[in-house]
Amino acid sequence: MNPAIGIAAIAAVSAATAVIGFYGLRISRTTGDFYVASRTVRPWWNASAIGGEYLSAASFLGVAGLILLSGTDALWFPVGYTAGYLMLLLFVAAPLRRSGAYTIPDFTEARLDSRAVRRVTSLAVVIVGWLYIVPQLHGAALTIRITTGLPAWVGSTAVVVVVCLSVVAGGMRSITFVQAFQYWLKLTALAVPLVFIVLGLTDSSSPAIASAAANPTGLAPAGPYQNISLLVALLFGTLGLPHVLVRFYTNPDGQSARRTTLIVLGLLSVFYLFPTAYGLAGRMFAPGLAQAGQADALVLLLPGHLIGGTAGELLSALVVAGAFAAFLSTTSGLVVSLAGVISQDVLGGSVRGFRLAALISAAVPLGLSFMSDSLALAGSVGLVFAFTASTICPVLLLGIWWRGLTDVGAIAGMVTGGLLCGGAMVAGTALGAAGTPFWLAQPAAWTVPAAFAVMVLTSRATKTRVPRTITKVMTRLHTPERPLATER
Amino acid sequence: MTRVRVTAPRSAARPAESREAAEESAVGQVFVRSLIRSQLRLALVVAAGFLLILGAFPLLAAIPGLAESRIAGIPFDWLLLGAGIYPVTGISAWLYIRSAARNEARYRDLAEDR
Repeated sequence: MNPAIGIAAIAAVSAATAVIGFYGLRISRTTGDFYVASRTVRPWWNASAIGGEYLSAASFLGVAGLILLSGTDALWFPVGYTAGYLMLLLFVAAPLRRSGAYTIPDFTEARLDSRAVRRVTSLAVVIVGWLYIVPQLHGAALTIRITTGLPAWVGSTAVVVVVCLSVVAGGMRSITFVQAFQYWLKLTALAVPLVFIVLGLTDSSSPAIASAAANPTGLAPAGPYQNISLLVALLFGTLGLPHVLVRFYTNPDGQSARRTTLIVLGLLSVFYLFPTAYGLAGRMFAPGLAQAGQADALVLLLPGHLIGGTAGELLSALVVAGAFAAFLSTTSGLVVSLAGVISQDVLGGSVRGFRLAALISAAVPLGLSFMSDSLALAGSVGLVFAFTASTICPVLLLGIWWRGLTDVGAIAGMVTGGLLCGGAMVAGTALGAAGTPFWLAQPAAWTVPAAFAVMVLTSRATKTRVPRTITKVMTRLHTPERPLATER
Repeated sequence: MTRVRVTAPRSAARPAESREAAEESAVGQVFVRSLIRSQLRLALVVAAGFLLILGAFPLLAAIPGLAESRIAGIPFDWLLLGAGIYPVTGISAWLYIRSAARNEARYRDLAEDR
């Protein structure tokens, strides 16, 4: 495609992000604004922002690419990404909002009355965040290479620079507006070209139709173990994602946190119909893209491939803009939540420390992305979900629902889950995609239960360490807020 | 440009002291514990119901004859897994929110009637 159009699309999204970020700067003045937008964001705004932040490179590019490669097996990815929010609603949303904590480490420290637990949780949050940013940068590198022909590093560096500028300038308040805008941009960027594609296909001159069941790659289909393990990772990984959780603190109370989650579920359900449709269309009309090893670029290439001409170029530009919105929004959400954790734990919690921490949180994954190769985007994000489900998820679930959790148990469980899942990820990378046995490639089905088991058993063995504040904390987490003015 | 020293308004998140005192009494704790139990039971029931339906979907898609059928040119199993699960998620969430709010209203009545 024409490089100028691609560059123009990317520049427009970056400029729009920066402008909304600077607009937000004028109204964010306190430390509270910087971290959680002072908890006054309306549910629709907040839900759009959560959607915008959550729909990453994996959702925008990776899901369609994986569907092109592996067909109906890959449909579990969007299903799991969405159903993860159902689990978050059922087990976490309202209690976490009522805890009144700003970050996950704040929550675990308050719940278990322990600085050591806080440090381990912070470490887990930072690892998850960094691992999650890397695939976003790989996606940006891929997009730049395919659409403009520039060297790949330009894409990842551009994302990091724009994110740092907008986060450092405005904090969470402006980020909320940016993210909400980017949800709708991403949806438009997939929906409009799809309408044209469908209209074009109803013409008689449509290209040859391959069967959707035909397998363009010859990859072995996933067995039930892989699908179940993937679902465990996605269902339980979502509720531990740091950039998702921090969003719930911007709701005024527990019930509105639930309502926000319901809206998010609706927004995600609508969104995921589109990558699914692209994957199906790719399988039927452009199976050649799978063989060229460019499956992740399917969404970017399909409009040009099926429509062509100026209309195809313009639609491609729209998709490129949407893809960049995905990299920018997820990366900035992660950078904000990581910066919150790093600045509070290491740099003393000032606005200045927050800005410095934001730079650190973005620079490290940029370095990691230069050192690593791009895997299938949806697959590598799936592994991050497995890691979250094995570390942060158990401590949140047990912390909210079980009085018996102790600080020693929480640390033992998180360390076990982190080592097992991290070990599986390292071993999988070392062995390569072909040499990795299936239970190592999808570790969540055994690492998540192991983390839960160790956490419960160790807490049982250290019963005397249940914090004395437990009654107070549990009451706070689960009882509804009262309207302040009309209290009794 | 003038620099302004900033502080965090953390106090807004703290509930009233009287509420804490009332809820930490022995009777108050009975109500709190029963609220937590009913919320957990509700969450587990909704999650289990959803997972059962989710598990049934691939079986449904594998029914001979159904899997090969097409609606508007789209294979049935794609439609089922690619679009059919989302309404189930939404309905589960909506049912949960209603019941969770009802549990909380019941708790509030009990706790405030004392």
